[in-house]
Amino acid sequence: MTATTIMPEARSASATLRRNFWRGVWRVMKRKPSRMAGVVIMAGFAFMGVFGPMFYPEHLPRDTSALYAPPSWAHPFGTDFEGTDVLALVITGSRYVLLTGLVTAVITVVLGAGIGLFAGFRRGRWDSVLMRITDMKLTIPGLPLMLVLSTIWKFTSAIEMGLVLGLLGWGGVARAVRSQTLSLRERGFVEAARGLGLSTPHIIGRELLPSMAPYIAMNMLIAVTGAVYAQVGLFFLGVLPFEANNWGVMLNLAVFGGGALTTTAALPYLLAPLLAILLLTLGIVLVVDAMDEIFNPRLREE
Amino acid sequence: MTLIGVPGRSGVIAVARRLAGHLARGLVMILVVTTISFLIIRNIPGDPMAAKYEKLVEQGMSPEAAQQAVNVLYGFMPTGSMWEQYLDYMKGLARFDLGQSLNVPGTGVGTVLMSAAKWTLIPVLAGTLLSFLVGIILGVYAAIKRQSKVGDLLAISGSLLHGLPQYVLALLLAAIFTTLIPILPAGGTADIMFEPGFNAGYIGSLIQHATLPVVTYALSSYGGWILAMKSSVVTVLGDDFILAAELRGMKRSIIFRYIARNAILPLFTILALSLGMLFGGAIFIERIFNYPGLGLMLIDSITGRDYALMGGAFLLITVAIIIANIAADLLYTVIDPRVRSGGEAA
Repeated sequence: MTATTIMPEARSASATLRRNFWRGVWRVMKRKPSRMAGVVIMAGFAFMGVFGPMFYPEHLPRDTSALYAPPSWAHPFGTDFEGTDVLALVITGSRYVLLTGLVTAVITVVLGAGIGLFAGFRRGRWDSVLMRITDMKLTIPGLPLMLVLSTIWKFTSAIEMGLVLGLLGWGGVARAVRSQTLSLRERGFVEAARGLGLSTPHIIGRELLPSMAPYIAMNMLIAVTGAVYAQVGLFFLGVLPFEANNWGVMLNLAVFGGGALTTTAALPYLLAPLLAILLLTLGIVLVVDAMDEIFNPRLREE
Repeated sequence: MTLIGVPGRSGVIAVARRLAGHLARGLVMILVVTTISFLIIRNIPGDPMAAKYEKLVEQGMSPEAAQQAVNVLYGFMPTGSMWEQYLDYMKGLARFDLGQSLNVPGTGVGTVLMSAAKWTLIPVLAGTLLSFLVGIILGVYAAIKRQSKVGDLLAISGSLLHGLPQYVLALLLAAIFTTLIPILPAGGTADIMFEPGFNAGYIGSLIQHATLPVVTYALSSYGGWILAMKSSVVTVLGDDFILAAELRGMKRSIIFRYIARNAILPLFTILALSLGMLFGGAIFIERIFNYPGLGLMLIDSITGRDYALMGGAFLLITVAIIIANIAADLLYTVIDPRVRSGGEAA
């Protein structure tokens, strides 16, 4: 009898909480229009990555009479060395870039949070072994390691690229999650949960993880930008074979093929992917800034 | 009890113990990195070593002589078990023998690396120090004026530049100053019309060519310095001794000196860490401005299949970082008395 009367109350209480949360999100968004712009930009990129390539044929049309054409209505960012529309290249190339970013972010966060939580919660020998490994990973510079690795493994597909970047990139998240775990596990609510004899998976999943979730989510977004920079950089340097079109390949061809740093003709071809990277960064930074304020009440300027 | 800046005997022992621990850990790290390097060179598809060996035998060389030649090239024998090859490689490294460069025939990898190192060290050092100075000064200013528009703008400029990847900055600067307004050279170290040596024309050309690489490096690291210094100053501003100094009616200039001196301490550790990036921190910049430093050499050795050189460049870049890490931690021990006393004060 009591159970049935309590249940609806609890449900309505959590519904109110949720409504308040979304109202808070809306308030944070409204205060700075730039944050709204961030969400719009990110949604735009997501749309571009998922649906963008569908608007174009598999082999982009070439206009051999207009190589390195200047920007015009037909070609807003001009054309490349084969007469292909640069805007079309940016849009079709975005799927590769964003998919890699997503794969990297998921691997980074799952590995980083998993290892950090495990090390911080268990402490002792496992903790010191895992943290030694993490330190080592953080010390070895990522870019030279990836360059050298590219000689034995041509990780060109989006999934492989995401895998490599994710496996090399979890160190920072693991360190941060571990130190948060170490401080949270001494707090009253965790001690209470342990006193109640709740299982370790319950404590980690229901008590620790929710308080760290916003932080982890922000890290995930930051990992996306890191992955985009790293893969575009690797393709730009030209150590990996070009299989699919993406922004890094465009930059490489514009600079080392088209001589964009000596003639102005190839400049739009160089600037278009750079602009895309900058815009994506801007969107993510603005969204992270909004999330920071939503989840960190101390930052709210009320 | 020790005076600040003068470690007592217990402090010295603590520093020595930390040093020993760090050196041991550094050696393990170097072992790991050399092993990675060996495994990668050994597992390159197509087995360049075996190919070279067979080619030499085909050319009429005796198997022993061919083995010797390949050993000289890569630093280990192409035959024998994996373990023997590994030990061979490590023995060579212990004698600082990194093998021979394939694309610069007859030259040791070490010599090739040293000739490239100066083109990385000097510009990156200049860029680091420039950005450190500017970042520190503007960081203090941004922290003090953090409620005003100027402070906001400085902090935003820092976050923006800190977030941008190096190649985006380098490409933008190159597009502006070599393509749109061609006032600076697009690449190389100096114009070939000048005789290398100590003459005004050559030095002027050197400086002109180094401007864009140095400025790019400085801009891309400036953001980190201004943000770190700002947050360090803000932390110090909240300390009790600043409040006490204000309450005692001290002069603003003296308080400012207190703040700056305490806030800059943690920055020196970061400076030591960033010096570790001296060798490998400018890979994109060197590729874009065609500057013949270690980064460009690493990329060229990969695309030119000069694997001994690749391994050497990779080792040099990583070992520098490992050493800088140890140095940074020791520096931290020396300048922060709380760490130095090894926890006995706590």
